[in-house]
Formats: sequence, C-alpha cells, structure tokens
Amino acid sequence: MAQQGRLNIFPTRMALTGMKSRLTAATKGHSLLKKKSDALTVRFRGILFQIVDKKEKMGEQMKEASFSLASVKFVAGDISATVLENASSATLRLTVETDNVAGVLIPNFKPYTDNSSTQELTGLAKGGQQISKSREVYLKTLMSLVELASLQTAFLTLDEVIKITNRRVNAIEHVIKPKIERTIAYIITELDEGEREEFFRLKKIQAKKKRDIKAKEAATLERATEAAAKLEQQKGTILDEDEEEEDEILF
Amino acid sequence: MDWLLRLWVLQPGSMATFNVDDGYLEGLCRGYRSGILKTTDYANLTQCDILDDMKLHLAQTDYGDFLANESKLTPTLIAEKCREKLINEFFHLRAHAVEPLATFLDYITYGYMIDNIVLLITGTLHERDTSELIEKCHPLGMFDAMATLSMSHNVSDLYHSVLVDTPLAPYFVNCLSEEDLDEMNIELIRNTLFKAYLEDFYHYCQTLGGTTAEVMGDLLKFEADRRSITITINSFGTELTKDDREKLYPEIGFLYPEGIARLAKAEDIEQVRGAIDYCGAYRNLFQETSFNADKSLEDAFFEYEVELNKLAFEQQFHYGIYYSYLKLKEQEIRNIVWISECVAQNMKSQINQYIPIF
Repeated sequence: MAQQGRLNIFPTRMALTGMKSRLTAATKGHSLLKKKSDALTVRFRGILFQIVDKKEKMGEQMKEASFSLASVKFVAGDISATVLENASSATLRLTVETDNVAGVLIPNFKPYTDNSSTQELTGLAKGGQQISKSREVYLKTLMSLVELASLQTAFLTLDEVIKITNRRVNAIEHVIKPKIERTIAYIITELDEGEREEFFRLKKIQAKKKRDIKAKEAATLERATEAAAKLEQQKGTILDEDEEEEDEILF
Repeated sequence: MDWLLRLWVLQPGSMATFNVDDGYLEGLCRGYRSGILKTTDYANLTQCDILDDMKLHLAQTDYGDFLANESKLTPTLIAEKCREKLINEFFHLRAHAVEPLATFLDYITYGYMIDNIVLLITGTLHERDTSELIEKCHPLGMFDAMATLSMSHNVSDLYHSVLVDTPLAPYFVNCLSEEDLDEMNIELIRNTLFKAYLEDFYHYCQTLGGTTAEVMGDLLKFEADRRSITITINSFGTELTKDDREKLYPEIGFLYPEGIARLAKAEDIEQVRGAIDYCGAYRNLFQETSFNADKSLEDAFFEYEVELNKLAFEQQFHYGIYYSYLKLKEQEIRNIVWISECVAQNMKSQINQYIPIF
C-alpha cells in the first residue's frame, strides 16, 4: 500500500492555495496521460490484428514460393550455383523512416530497388518463364516480410511506451494525488484547529473580561453600600447633636 | 558395286561390323534403359506421404540401396544421389568405349563442360575463389585443365591458360574474343557457345553417317529448334535485342532458315506461333499448350523429347541410344525430384505433373 505520508510543508493559507493548484495540475496531467494511453492502446490492438493476419498469409506465400522454386528445379535444373556466382550487390534495399504516432516515434521500413537485376537473362534457353515467375513470387513474399518487420518493431516500441505511460498514470492516480490530497487535508485541519484555538482564546478572554467587569461592579457596589451605611451612622449622631445646631445644617 | 557394299558395311552402325567394337556397350546401354522407372513405379512414388516411403520404393527399382546410408532425406539429397548413379553408369560406358564411340561420348559431355566453364568465368569475373567453384561443377563436364584454374585471377588469364586447352577452344575461337568475355552478359556467352557446340556435334554425326546420322540428326535438330523458340519467348521484355537474339539461333534444325528468320522478327507469342506454324510437330505442341492451361510449353517440349528419345531405341547398331539413354535418365531424375519436392512440401495436387517415360 502507498505510504500514508504527506508532504512536509508549513500549513499556511498560501501553502493551501499552492497545494490546490498542484492538485488540479495533477488531475489534468492524469487525464491527458490516460488519453495518450488509450490512443496508443487502440493503435496497438490494430497492429496486433494486422500482424496475426499477415503471419497467416506469410505461411501461404512461403509455401507458394517454395513450390515455384520446385518447378524451376524441374525445368531448369539446379540454377543456384549460377545465381549465387552472378550476384554482385544487393538490388533490394531498405530505408528506415520514423512515423510520429501520438508522440511516439515508430520506425517504418521502406524497400527500394538499387539497380535493375543483371540476372534477368538467367534461364534464357531453358526455364526462363518459370524463373521469372519464381522471382516475382519471392519478391512479393519479401515485400510482405518487410511489412511484417515494420509492424513488429512498431508493436514492440508501442508496447514499451504504453507500459511507461500506464505506469505514470497509475503513479499519479495512486501516489501523487492522494499525497497532495492528504497534505491539503492536513493543512485544512491545521488551519481549522488554529481557528478554533483562536476562537476559544477569544471566548476565554471575553469571559474573563466579563468576570472582571462584574467583579469591579460588585466591588463598587459594596463600597457604595458601605459608604451609605457609614453615612447613615454619621447622620444619626449628627442629628442628635444638631438639635441645637439646626441652623448650621441648613445648606 | 563392290565399293558401295564395302562402304555400307564399313560404316559405323553397319550391321556387319558394329558388334565387334560396340556390341558389348550397346547391350549394357539397353540393360540400363530397361531399368528406367515405369508407370507402375511412378504410381507407387506418387502415393508416398513422406520421403522415407519413396526411399523404400526406390530400393525395389534399379536404384537399389543408393540412399541406404543417409539419415536426413531431402529432395536435394535424393537428386544428388540419383545423379551420382547416372554419372557412374556413364563413366563406365565411356571407360569401355573405343573410337569412334569414345569421341561421340566425349561430344555428349561438351554440353556440361560449357555450363561448368560459364560458371568459372562468372566466378572469375566477380573475383571469387575458383577452387570452390570446382565442387559446384557438373561431374560429366570436367576437363583436365581445371586443376590450373586456381592460378587465374582474371578473365584474360583464364582464357589464355585454361580455355584454349579444352576441347571447347574452337567454339571460343570462332565466335568469342577476350573482350567479349568481359563485356557480354554471361547468358549470351553460354548460349553462343552452345550454338557452336550443337552445330559442331551435328556435323560430326553426319560424318559418322548411317543410322547414327539419321537418329542423332533428328534429335539435334529438335534440340536446336527448341532452343531457338525458348530463347525467343524468354527474350520478350528483356534487354536482349533482336540482332543479338538472332546470333543465338543454331543453324541446324527443321526451322532453319525460314522459321528462324521469322522468329528473329517476332515480338510476341502469336508471331512465334506463326513462325513455327509450317512445322507440323511444333504446331501440335503449341496447340497442346493452348488447350491445356496446366501444361506449359516447356512441358510439351519435354514430352516430345521423351518420345524422340524412346524412338531411338527402336533401331539397332547406332550411337544414338547412348545420347537418348542419358537424356531419358536425366528426365527421370527431374521427375523424381519433382515428386519428392511435392511430397516434402505436401503439395499433392500437382504431383502428377511429371513427364511419364515408359
């Protein structure tokens, strides 16, 4: 299972936005790669069917070619020594071109003839027709072989690339995105926690303030009642004394 | 009258004196001829499903145990072994022959010598090691100077040291110079030499006279005509010009001179048909191919050749039987190779396209 880790960053709001943008980027990359993988897989399957088809036909063609060689042997005898000795340089050659398929460079073999055969007069007096027929059949078979070779190299190359692409898709899907998501979750929880802490602190402070105010009020009230009581006492005594000093109290 | 009688009696092939020198060999040759595979043998061979069955059937014919020591059977191997047997028989005949039969048999080998020499020239032109080529040469066409071949490294050396010592030197001298060997297409060289050889052989047979001249004359004329027709048809669409082509037609043959002149101008197969039309036998051959799609002209020629060769054995006291025997055995080897290829490649549908002989 994937690691249950997350990225190690400091949980701030800016980090959060950064992480969010990374997540969208990863999602986009994931869908693009998936599309590439699907396109390549479709092409891969197509090539597979073509290869199977061509291989079956190849068997038939080789049989036909061997048979035409047998009829040459019947009419003209064994011409292999003559043909081999007369061969100077290859007349059929290949060039390699690269095709671009969904970003993948696939090699493609193209045959071309270098110079016309100097052996076209072989079997002039005996078996010439069988020889030219055999030459045609073998040439056709050779062309099929070249096509088959192109298809097979394409097959192998595509196989490699598809594996790599699928690995990347899976990596993004099962490793990178969860990691980022966990990181985001962590940041969010950290931020939420921070908010809650803040909130709690505020509440506590408010409560304290309230208590303080209450206490102050209570103290003030007490003092006031004390003062009033004292005043009453004083007033009592003063009233007794002041029956003669009534005049002095009038203010 | 007396001299007429003597002339008639003393000719090779004359009944009175033939068996003195050549009777034993004629008997031997006819013995070999009766060992040629018959239709029943071919019927057995075509029924085989694997090559080992064929080996079993061949063991009951004249071939005997010639494949006894071979473990892995292939059509090529079978062909090689059959050919080896034929060559042994031929050399046996040649070893016991006296003049003029010895010269006659030598003439037969010149054809194979031409093929060998062409192979060697090709090898030298491409600077290959000529000693390797000697193994690929046809055994019937070996000549003494072959041992010195590894010394020559270019065509000029080859010409001066080797070729002039062979019996084929006159053919080179008359029509091919040293420059031609370098420049001409190798097939043209081969066919030019063969034309000279055929004409020479024909004239030699005519000097032998009697039944030999008659029988061999027919056979060689047919061979000449067949080559002319085949060369014409195969040269359509190639770089071979009409003049060059005309130089390859042998000047013996039923088609000489009118048919040859018309063949030289022909540009497609219809004109060829028109050119040979006046010759009944060839007209029939062409008709056979137009009726039967599976049969090619080559097959028709092979069949006709087999017929002619069979006819040679109907007459006695002549040398044509040796030539015919060789040709019939070669056809038999071709048939065996065809059947073994069909069996090995599992193409039983076409297996009956061999040419039956007896």
